[in-house]
Amino acid sequence: MSAKILQRLLVAVLVAVMLVWLIVPFAMAILWSMVDPSTAWTYPDLLPPKLSFERWWIMWQTTSLPTAILNSYSLAPIAALLTALLAAPTAFAFGRLDFPGKGLAQILILVPLVMPGFVVAIFFASILLQMGFFARYPAILFGHVILYLPYAVRILSVSFGQVRTDVVNAARDLGASPWQVFRVAYLPVLRPGIFAAFLVVFILSLEEFALAFVVGSPDFTTIPTILYSYLGYNFIRPNAAVVALILVVPNVLLMLGLERLLQSANPASVSGKG
Amino acid sequence: MRRTLFVLLLLAPGLGLVLAFVSLVLYVAVSQSFGLYNLGGDSVFSLAHWQAMLGERRYWRALQYSAYIAVTASLLAVALAYPVALLLRKPFRGSLTLSALIKAPLLVPGLVAAFLFVNVISYHGIVNQLMLSLGLWDAPVRLQNDKNGYGVILLQVWKQLPFAFLLLSAAVQALPDAVLLAARDLGAGPLDRFRKVVLPLTAGAMQAALVLIFIGAAGDFSFQAVAGPPSVDSLATLMTSVQSTQGDWNGAAVVAVTLMALSLFGSAALAILVRGATRLARG
Amino acid sequence: METKGTFVAYLAATDIGMRFDTFEALKGVSFTAERGEFITLLGPSGCGKTTLLNIVAGFLKPTRGALTLDGADLLPIPPERRDSAMCFQSYALFPHLSVRDNIAFGPRQKGLTATEVAKRVNDLLAQMALDAHAGKLPNALSGGQQQRVALARALAVGPGLVLFDEPLSNLDAKLRDQVRTEIRALQRRVGFTALYVTHDQAEALALSDRILLLNNGVIEQEGAPRDIYFKPRTRFVADFIGAANLHAGIAEAGALATPFGPLTGAGVATGAVTICWRPEMARLGPAGVNSLAGIVSSSAFQGAYTDVFVDAAGQTVRLQLPGAAHFAPGEALSFHVPPSAITTVADTAS
Ligand SMILES: Nc1ncnc2c1ncn2[C@@H]1O[C@H](COP(=O)(O)OP(=O)(O)O)[C@@H](O)[C@H]1O
Ligand SMILES: [Mg+2]
Repeated sequence: MSAKILQRLLVAVLVAVMLVWLIVPFAMAILWSMVDPSTAWTYPDLLPPKLSFERWWIMWQTTSLPTAILNSYSLAPIAALLTALLAAPTAFAFGRLDFPGKGLAQILILVPLVMPGFVVAIFFASILLQMGFFARYPAILFGHVILYLPYAVRILSVSFGQVRTDVVNAARDLGASPWQVFRVAYLPVLRPGIFAAFLVVFILSLEEFALAFVVGSPDFTTIPTILYSYLGYNFIRPNAAVVALILVVPNVLLMLGLERLLQSANPASVSGKG
Repeated sequence: MRRTLFVLLLLAPGLGLVLAFVSLVLYVAVSQSFGLYNLGGDSVFSLAHWQAMLGERRYWRALQYSAYIAVTASLLAVALAYPVALLLRKPFRGSLTLSALIKAPLLVPGLVAAFLFVNVISYHGIVNQLMLSLGLWDAPVRLQNDKNGYGVILLQVWKQLPFAFLLLSAAVQALPDAVLLAARDLGAGPLDRFRKVVLPLTAGAMQAALVLIFIGAAGDFSFQAVAGPPSVDSLATLMTSVQSTQGDWNGAAVVAVTLMALSLFGSAALAILVRGATRLARG
Repeated sequence: METKGTFVAYLAATDIGMRFDTFEALKGVSFTAERGEFITLLGPSGCGKTTLLNIVAGFLKPTRGALTLDGADLLPIPPERRDSAMCFQSYALFPHLSVRDNIAFGPRQKGLTATEVAKRVNDLLAQMALDAHAGKLPNALSGGQQQRVALARALAVGPGLVLFDEPLSNLDAKLRDQVRTEIRALQRRVGFTALYVTHDQAEALALSDRILLLNNGVIEQEGAPRDIYFKPRTRFVADFIGAANLHAGIAEAGALATPFGPLTGAGVATGAVTICWRPEMARLGPAGVNSLAGIVSSSAFQGAYTDVFVDAAGQTVRLQLPGAAHFAPGEALSFHVPPSAITTVADTAS
């Protein structure tokens, strides 16, 4: 009995700690982003003296934030699409074929995950310089595609593995064309995996910093690099608060959507396996 | 033969591209550390860049500092994640909320986390205000960019705890109830059950968590740049400043190779050490 | 069985109740076990057998009731300090420990010296014919071998009481019979008290000194295997153990009025009753009393006997007849049931 009370207490304390861990920092960021530029928020005021969205408006009008948003939100979907497309053949091989060295190949595809991001970024930049390739947008796009291929391959090979061979054979047996086989046997099983892979790469590309910062320097901006500029050499707290929120809020929403998707993509319900 | 070709064709755009890119980057980094593929001046094989970098104090400090952050953060994250994973082994009221809260940092990009943290501990931030109003401190304390890197470690643990938690709770949940009951039935109390049954059976997951977190923390740039001690560099910030402010690609390459060596050997050494420690604990 | 005077049973459970939220898994179970007795908890899946066993082991605390072992209250004692050891259905061997270390786990926890542990483990390895596998990990063993390791591991702590939770259910039929015999022989030799859970009535009949038949969280009947088989008290017991012919009837002054006409039974109740007799007690041909006749509706040859279903007086009756005789559907058949084989049962447990 007392053990149960103790456990309750422990959970309550943990939940409280986690709330402080999450809610206080976010509340502070929101407050800082809404400090009116006319009246500073200084010690010892507990709350900003005047709240407004003025700061958001000024940043939109006077900084390179719109360009950064445009860059980030165009890079992310293109990178996601290209990654999913390039990942599909490898994922097919991993999910549906057996070949010598498959185990090794499945480990090797994960290597980018353990490469330090800044090593990749700097020496990718070095290679670009040696090749005399100066177009930064496609360079960063290419970098994101490669860095996030492992994620897409992993997700899609699980999906390919769930395609049922008996359904494929039955479709063939009934005289379906390859396209029809794909539509009835593959697509329904693959669809959640394709969405998940797309979303994961989209999110990762949005928040990628090292490559965009190194390859894009000095003046190609994405949302994370602009945030870094307000955090680093010219630290402007309210501006950083605005950019931080612009970066994190859609990210959280997308992640929650992804979670939903992964739950609804219950393999049993899709593949019909018990 | 045709089948092999078919498989290779399938692998080319995915695995092939990744391997080509990674090996090219590695090759260029290692080559440039030995003076090859120079961007300015002649390309000749030389150990001069290594000698120069190894002669610099800040290089050794960066190496030491990155190793320190990586070891501390990975051990702390695993040490915190273990009890929580064990607590959440069986579902109970509020357990879902709790595990969602622990996983929440996965949703927050590193730079945002660093900013939020700096905000909370800044000179007039909420922590200082609270301590002042409670009368525990007489004057605000400078917590930001502390010289021991505690802020960076805290951020690393915050960010990496979910990974450790995910890996460990998968392992802990895979333990059959009956095995734990059997240990209990044969006279093992809570501590003995952990030492002799839980730990050995989840050591693999723990090692994986240690390695992943070690590598992530060793290569950190953002947390160090925003919240780290101003007098020290991490290997990643050192590499970036050598390259961008001094334009010294070869020096940066030396640091890069060092960082990769630290990631590889440091994480392996840590994993082996901790494995050995669990063997000892098992008795 | 008497608990008069100073005599106290070795294991005694009194009015044990267990509630999970709103579901009552055990509704007041009482039983005792003497030292060295082999007691079986038999019942259909979900009746509360494992729950009761886990309460005795200490893994669960009952919501009410008392439990004593050797006269001492068991309930406040945690499982790690109870003088009992469990043999799990899944074996629950430690996958990271060798067979030897699995068996040594309990003795080491008890703080025995290395030489004592080694002696005990070697004895058990020899007894269980596991010497050749001492260094192997459990995964490298067959199901039967794993079963023996689980038993050896439980016996290694020298428990007074050994708890078995369906230990044979993961073995194939042939092995099951063999291990069943081994367990019984071992229990006689070592002399521990056994509390054995199973849903297999054949296992229970073959192994037990006494069977507790559990249904819906209550003990429906308790007794020696032969008593339970031939004198079932309720319809459920008759049906669950073996096959039974159950028919409504009215008993008056030792005579039974049934759909088949008057029958004579042994020690029957009065009033509206359910009569019960075992199919193998039927004999071919008419006799002085309890003669019946009907038409064969189907039959199935079972080797040792033939299962024959007969339509008699609008009821289906089951006979199990020895020999190789053939019974064709539609054939007329007359048979009789000795009065000593006919009993009456209650419709529900009261
Ligand atoms: N921890 C629990 N929570 C809720 N119900 C339980 C729990 N354990 C067992 N039950 C229920 O109690 C009943 C008896 O279970 P059990 O003792 O395992 O039966 P069995 O006789 O098959 O071993 C079952 O209906 C089961 O669903
Ligand atoms: Mg059971």
